[in-house]
Order: sequence, then C-alpha cells, then structure tokens
Amino acid sequence: MGDTPPPPEATPPPPPPVTSGSPTDFLKNVVGKRVVVRLTSGVDYRGVLSCLDGYMNIALEQTEEHVNGIVTNRYGDAFIRGNNVLYISAAEPL
Amino acid sequence: MLIFSVFKTLTDQRVTVELKNDLSITGTLKSVDQFLNIRLDAIEVSDQARHPHMMAVKNCFIRGSVVRYVQLPAEHVDTQLLEDATRREAASQTKR
Amino acid sequence: MDTSAGIQEPFDLIRLSLSERVFVKLRGDRELTGILHAYDGHMNLILSEVEETIMLVDGADSGPSGQGIVNVTKRKMEMLFVRGDGVILVSPPSRT
Repeated sequence: MGDTPPPPEATPPPPPPVTSGSPTDFLKNVVGKRVVVRLTSGVDYRGVLSCLDGYMNIALEQTEEHVNGIVTNRYGDAFIRGNNVLYISAAEPL
Repeated sequence: MLIFSVFKTLTDQRVTVELKNDLSITGTLKSVDQFLNIRLDAIEVSDQARHPHMMAVKNCFIRGSVVRYVQLPAEHVDTQLLEDATRREAASQTKR
Repeated sequence: MDTSAGIQEPFDLIRLSLSERVFVKLRGDRELTGILHAYDGHMNLILSEVEETIMLVDGADSGPSGQGIVNVTKRKMEMLFVRGDGVILVSPPSRT
C-alpha cells in the first residue's frame, strides 16, 4: 500500500502579511495625524484629525478648505457631517 | 427628540417653513411629529407670483425631509432652556 | 488652554460651541453664521441672530480657478431651525 497522506495541519497557515490592516485600524492610526478629507462634492479639507465616529462625522483642527487646489477657507476647528465624506486620506506617514 | 419637543412648544405660533425647492410657506403650526413632519394652517406663500398654484391652498402637511429651514418666533424660544436641554441630551447620548 | 483636550467624539466640538457664534456650510452653496442654541444627532440646529449667505454660482463652473460665483445675496433671520441633512460643515468661532 502507498503511504498514507499526512494528517492535515492542525493550525491554518498564517494570513498573508497585510501592510495596513483593516479600515478600522487605518482610522485608529490616523487620528491625530494630518489628513485630507474629500467630500462627495469634490471639496477637500486638509487638517489634523481630532476624532471621528461611526457615521464618519469628523472633527478637524487647523483646517484648510481646498476647492480645485485653491485654499478657499481656513477654520481653527471644523465638524464635518459624515454623509458628505467620500474618503479620508493620510497626509503624512503613519 | 429634543427638536421635536421644541416644535411642540411652538404649536399655534406663526412659523415660516422654507422648503428645499425654495418655496416658503408661512402658517400657524398645528402639529408636528417625530420625523418633523409639519402641519400648517392659514398659510401664505411668500412669492405668490412664482407659485400661483398655491393661492387656493389654505392648509398643508409638509414632509419633514423636504424642509430646509423653519423660521421661529424668537420671543417664544427660551435659548437658555434649549442649551441646557441640548447638553443633557448630549450627555445621555454619550453614556449610552 | 487647548480646546481640543476634551474632545473624544466629533459632537463634543459642537457641544462646546453652544451659545457661541458658529459658521455653518450647507448644501446648495449656502452659508450661515448664528448663535448656536440647540442641536441633535442629525445635526439639526437651532440658531439665533442668523445671517445667511447664498452664493449664486454660474452654470459654466469649469475654469481651473473654479470660482463661478456670479452673485451673493445675504439675509438675516432672528431664530432659525436648520434641518441637519443639509449641513456639510460646522465651525466654532476661532479661538487661536
């Protein structure tokens, strides 16, 4: 008789290395960092991410509003209602 | 819930509801519900010429979602009370 | 005094602005400033001493400068409810 195949490994193979983790991990890591928030309207807000909640409501500090690459407004603090958010992008290394 | 309560205290007052389609309707606030749907009586439309079809309308029900603003009678709004109630609601939301 | 110290969630920023003049950016190229008296989780707002700015934007809003604003109109309102679904951004008074 031929060799019986070895029993299957008890432990699954480790997951492939992920560079950035889950979206939640990203959001956790990016708090306190400089970010770009793009709204669905195409307007960008650049500032320091103070915090955010599950609706993607966002509090930003030292915020610049960019429309077509031009600074159109500055806010010390800004609350952005989450439904307007298209994405949040890190603007400095995490 | 807080804003709903505010509107309830303003029943029978004159308010101006501005809709997202720019129609402005002034009327007596008869009732409001949890969705901030609004019933108005004795209504007047600000720009009659632009909305002639509203001339015959005396009362209406406005779906909350089409409202942009409601102008309130300032003398019937206790701002200090509002701020305290807002802080209380905010505190109970975060504890949740 | 670092105002950001006590902020754990975005709504804290709004709570700390109660009874202060805030700037509100709305859909439809509208902006408001007013004194904040109440808000809720939908960002429904109640403001007093409101000044609204409406930017009438040119349809041909294609140039790289992007400033297609043709006309700006302003109006004042004593006490105003603002429905939250139109809110894009709220900024407290700058305290730098």
